[in-house]
Amino acid sequence: MNSFDYHVAEELSAALAEYGAGQATLKAGGMDVLDLIKERLIEPEVVLSIDRLDQLRYIREEQEAVRIGSLTTLADIGRSELLARKFNAFHSAAAHAATPQIRERATVGGNLCQRPRCWFFRNRELHCLKKGGATCFAVEGENRYHAIFGGGPCYIVHPSNIAPALIALDGSITIASVESGNREVKAEDFFVLPEDSLYAENILKEGEIILEISFPMAPLRSATIELREKQSFDWPLVLASVARLKKGWHVCLGAVAPIPWISQSAMDVLGNKEITLELATVAGEAAAIDADPLEENEYKVQLVKVAVRRALMAAAGLEVPSWN
Amino acid sequence: MSYRNDNRVALENDEPRLEIREKVTGSAKYTTDYYLPNMLWACYIRCDFGDARLRSADVESARSIHDVLEVELEKKSARYHGDRIGYICAESRQALEQAIAALKMKFAASWPRTMLEEERTALEDLEPAENDVQAENVIDTCDLVVQGEFQTQVQTHCCLEPHSCVVHFRGDSAVAYGSTQSNVAFRDDLARELGLRPDQVEFHCEHVGGGFGSKFGMDNEGRLAAQISKKYQRPCRVVCNRKEEMLDTGNRPGSLQHMRIGLTRDGKIRGGKIATWGSVGPTGGGGGVSNPSRYDFGTIAKVHQDVHIDGGFPRAMRAPGHPQAMFAIELMMDQMAVEVNMDPLEFRQLNETSELRKEMLRVGAEQIGWSERQPNGLSPGPIKRGFGIGVADWGNRPGTAAIGVNVYRNGTVEVLSGAQDIGTGYRTMIGDVVRTYMGLPRNALVVKVGSSDLPPGPASGGSVTSRFTAPKAFLAAEKARNRILELVAKEWKLNDASGLNLEDGRIIGQDQSIQWKDACQLMTGDRIAILSDEDGAFGKDPTGSEAVQFAEVAVDVETGIIHVKKIVALQNVGLPVNRNTIENQICGAVIQGLSFCLFEERVLNNQTGTMVNANMDMYKIAGPVDVPEIVPIIWREQREVAVNSLGEPPVVPVPGAIATAVANAIGVQVRSMPLTPRKILTALSEKEAKS
Repeated sequence: MNSFDYHVAEELSAALAEYGAGQATLKAGGMDVLDLIKERLIEPEVVLSIDRLDQLRYIREEQEAVRIGSLTTLADIGRSELLARKFNAFHSAAAHAATPQIRERATVGGNLCQRPRCWFFRNRELHCLKKGGATCFAVEGENRYHAIFGGGPCYIVHPSNIAPALIALDGSITIASVESGNREVKAEDFFVLPEDSLYAENILKEGEIILEISFPMAPLRSATIELREKQSFDWPLVLASVARLKKGWHVCLGAVAPIPWISQSAMDVLGNKEITLELATVAGEAAAIDADPLEENEYKVQLVKVAVRRALMAAAGLEVPSWN
Repeated sequence: MSYRNDNRVALENDEPRLEIREKVTGSAKYTTDYYLPNMLWACYIRCDFGDARLRSADVESARSIHDVLEVELEKKSARYHGDRIGYICAESRQALEQAIAALKMKFAASWPRTMLEEERTALEDLEPAENDVQAENVIDTCDLVVQGEFQTQVQTHCCLEPHSCVVHFRGDSAVAYGSTQSNVAFRDDLARELGLRPDQVEFHCEHVGGGFGSKFGMDNEGRLAAQISKKYQRPCRVVCNRKEEMLDTGNRPGSLQHMRIGLTRDGKIRGGKIATWGSVGPTGGGGGVSNPSRYDFGTIAKVHQDVHIDGGFPRAMRAPGHPQAMFAIELMMDQMAVEVNMDPLEFRQLNETSELRKEMLRVGAEQIGWSERQPNGLSPGPIKRGFGIGVADWGNRPGTAAIGVNVYRNGTVEVLSGAQDIGTGYRTMIGDVVRTYMGLPRNALVVKVGSSDLPPGPASGGSVTSRFTAPKAFLAAEKARNRILELVAKEWKLNDASGLNLEDGRIIGQDQSIQWKDACQLMTGDRIAILSDEDGAFGKDPTGSEAVQFAEVAVDVETGIIHVKKIVALQNVGLPVNRNTIENQICGAVIQGLSFCLFEERVLNNQTGTMVNANMDMYKIAGPVDVPEIVPIIWREQREVAVNSLGEPPVVPVPGAIATAVANAIGVQVRSMPLTPRKILTALSEKEAKS
């Protein structure tokens, strides 16, 4: 870890001004940025901490929307009775991520903006494509956790647990900067594929901070199913968030592509129909249709089918296989 | 008759470990807690890749960093990720890290050797064992021959307290702190490095945050700290960071095991051929696999090859060679049982070498509910239930150690041992032996362990510490008690002390009694000092630390995810002393074995040899939700035998028990650890394709 100046922002306007000046690295809960600094993947001269900006920590129900401040922690979401009741897909994705300790620190904004957990990217020793090198080591190397959709030239999977639910629930993200004020984007337009932007995973420009996320209205039904190797402190192998909105079902997958992956093929099958076991199974199969696995991750195709099927069943109140 | 599960221990000690308060409050001092005045920091410069050569490094920039004293590159080629190629010494950790960054090292890497299966000599090309023909003849005469190949992965030790040392060289003496499984070896190594006699080095290791076989001697950390301290005549601290800990402090080597075994139609194993390969470092050995073992395999021709890999070197790790062997052996036992159409439990009973374990198998089956076991793969629904078995044993002979007991005039009893408590509860065990034998409450006792000034104890390897020290502690306790009883007899004008007893802190005679504290006032000197290096009344050889474990698992055959529901762990420990510490050891071993079986794996990038998961998130270790219900059963009270080994035996059966339970659940064996969803799903789809 290099030496750096540590600035603590007391006001949002001051934070935006300092971050906009382009010298500082932003830190909210610090869960990801500290890992990056320790591994010397970034060597900031100034770290600007915004974790004391309590005005960005809220869960607010309005007439037409629910708004969640970007510094709301995953544990805050887990404790929200409102979100548990009306936005189950989002609530359960946050409430079961990582560990209780991490959830108390990790923020909504940080979770959406965290860098990939790809083990080639995360190791200082390996100068991979995403870090400006010439090789994506996943193509020929140990790729059991890598992308089966949307890969190339880099095969990371997006690490956010909550982003698929945010997209499935038709959510939006409000971004602020000194230069251009506030703007709201659809969550599905926030993330970018490596073929469009190799070195960043989202559209944030220099100096921009996520202010809040919002859901337009409660879905009729929603659920998230996460499949992991370990049940304590692990990233998903595959995650599926589904939601039935007024116009029909939305399906978004996590941990399978460099961005949260909207499964149009599953959505085409589902339309706005009532879920049965048969329909959920067909939708699961459809979700896997365009998968393009690497040498070691074909098993994720099967997991996509199961995760989508089970998420739809859970959303519809049908019984989902469990250990107990 | 039904077994009554009752973990009462022979010495009736049911209290928490002695240092519980220090551990829970954080006041227990580990090596990494020592920051001495005027202290220097040092670390190694390490290679980024497998087989690599250093092309360039900006040494001058690194040296120019403020507070950096030395930057030395000692070699240019390296053989594994994390290999030491030089060192840095500085006034602060920050300066060390900045110097490492300033080096901007560039390596030229050759294509590394990373895969055991690719680097080994093929089975047919191995030099045959001496009795190969004999084993072949046995196989030829068998009704049935079963064969299979099994694979286990490299597991790192993952000590929570990293390898570390703080040394203060003071010319004609030194004080040092090190995290170690052997105070004596660490001190002797330091003395040699510093050019001192052992008595000139004062060495401390009061608490250890895990060793698992990787912390004998002063190691590379102690060597560098000693060299720097001596050179600058100042204290020096060397502490591995998490990545270094993963890369360069040892590992359990990976294995491949090929078994071809002949048996009779009625289920008796007659013999066969076993070939094993162990993945070791770029040079050297240490990849041995204890296959065959435990069951009666008859005539076996065994060959082994250590296979060089461009990764960190192996080291002893909690029952070296055993858990990986029992993974293969238990799966093989199940496969053979299937071939002769026999229940796997019955098949084991038939081929078991230990009468004691036969009884443990019977009891364990009852405790897990073996009668509910369905034929392989036939439990209903997508979540399949399965049961499995693993066994082990561990044998140790008595060994060298010394225990001191001081009884002070105020009644305080001090128990002294230079052996180290590596987290097992050693100080609790030794303290409880002494106070129980003397008939004193815990608050009369002070236990001091982990310093070179104390009576020497063994290295804590091979599960010997309790086995070696407990008999000496019994004898020391007996001698100390008798000395006080003799003082009382003299005071009471009795001919001798034979009629006196010491119970609950009171010495009781025929018609009078005296408090322990008052009796101690009768001594004329400051203390009665006993040093015992002989075995006392409790030295009789125990049979061995037999272990039998049963696992119940649930496997989701749609996702391949395994949920271990329950493990019943029966453990013979000879004379059981303290229930809590025994149960802690059993449960800890079960968790570590489960973690090995399902999750842990060193992953080397096949293109560069870089370990890509040298941390504790991508190197996966079981967490709280992954831990099943564990039922530790301390096998019967045996007052007539010595305290026996416990550190290693309970980790041995776990992978075999889980793997056979998974196979029972899903109807196909997964013969490669860790048992990940990927492998489970692959095995299931191969099974489906076959059918």
